[in-house]
Amino acid sequence: MMICFQDINWTTFGITVGIMIGIAVLLGVLIMVISRFFHVEKDARIDEIVNNLPKANCGACGYPGCEGFAKALIDGKANVDDCKVSKKENKTEIANILGQSFSGGEETVAVVACNGGNDCKDKYAYQGYGNCLNQEMLAGGRKACPVGCMGAGSCVDACPNVAIDVKGGVAVVDPDLCISCGICINTCPKKIIKRIPKSAKIYVACSTECKGKDVISVCKNGCISCGICERTCQHDAIHLVNNVPVVDYSKCTGCKECMVKCPKKVIKER
Amino acid sequence: MGIISLFVAAVFTNNFILVQTLGICPFLGVSKKTESALGMGVAVTFVMVLASAITYAIFKWVLVTLDIAFMQTIVFIFVIAALVQMLEMVLKKVSPSLYSSLGVYLPLITTNCAILGVAVANLALASLLEAILNGLFCGIGFTLAIFLMSGIREKLDKVNVPKCFKGFPITLITACFMAMAFGVFA
Repeated sequence: MMICFQDINWTTFGITVGIMIGIAVLLGVLIMVISRFFHVEKDARIDEIVNNLPKANCGACGYPGCEGFAKALIDGKANVDDCKVSKKENKTEIANILGQSFSGGEETVAVVACNGGNDCKDKYAYQGYGNCLNQEMLAGGRKACPVGCMGAGSCVDACPNVAIDVKGGVAVVDPDLCISCGICINTCPKKIIKRIPKSAKIYVACSTECKGKDVISVCKNGCISCGICERTCQHDAIHLVNNVPVVDYSKCTGCKECMVKCPKKVIKER
Repeated sequence: MGIISLFVAAVFTNNFILVQTLGICPFLGVSKKTESALGMGVAVTFVMVLASAITYAIFKWVLVTLDIAFMQTIVFIFVIAALVQMLEMVLKKVSPSLYSSLGVYLPLITTNCAILGVAVANLALASLLEAILNGLFCGIGFTLAIFLMSGIREKLDKVNVPKCFKGFPITLITACFMAMAFGVFA
């Protein structure tokens, strides 16, 4: 149907336009009045703090995003150090905004303390659904080692920054991509992802507390608690605790002597 | 129409999501967890009741009187969007706890088709009270559908679904079966 210019009913046209403009103006004024009356004072510090947070919104602090964390900081519910992702200078800045003093925790990075992978034997063949968390429910996972990485990627799925990859049956954290939020540490059913200082040169890539003989029977790359690292270290920085070497990073100079001497190559360069 | 038949129609036989296929977006998007599904349901019910009252009044007393009823869709969208905006501001001040529990769902439903659907469906009703009740019942129907869906999806997460059906496809198939089940009422 053709509509000609003459066909337009000007009265209806006028009423329509008038009513629409009327409603628009009315609603606009109403919104303006309401926003004036119901204005909520937002703490100006929230924006300042958010600017100093990493804005990754990873949620590892347990609050909904960086803004939620900033609110919790102001309410005194959270601690500056609860955010593992932000840099040291930013944390100091936030502490200044809040009028607190910040002594400064060291920047950290996550590592997977397992070296086994495909060299670690399986108890049984897992043919089922899902990742490590599902495997763990069936007799504690398929690996013969009680603290062996299953390599099914629960941590890979959990990582908000795609920093973890499974290589040769064992999960590996990319230190450049790791934002140190700690989500993988809480996710891993074997609890073998550890937090080490970012400045660390070496780390112990095994978590087993079993005796040497038992370790050899299930894993080619496991720590046999021989103690060579402890005897080699000239700085008193590495000790066997519960059959597994623990590095004291405050004393470690990064000479890598222990790494060279370790017969199972359990101590690795980061 | 009696109130009981209005209720049965809105919740079961003419369920907004499963029979009339309105409001599918939040139905599929926010039904992953029971908690957030309930939050969405409550928010939608809330807005539906308010929108029913306002749009019905505007239609009967402004648009019909001035003989420009053809403008209904535009006016309704307009009014509902502004209404939700105002509601959000008021809630933020008056009841921060309700505001934070409704959270992101409130702005999400500003231009939801289910809300507009209720507003349009209400025009066939006789009185303002019936329109408001219809809004409430439709909201309950929406909440029921999204709540059932979220329960099923939480169970589905733990089940070994064939790879090609994982995630969204199986959700759509589930929605299809639910719609067939609700079709029995009609």
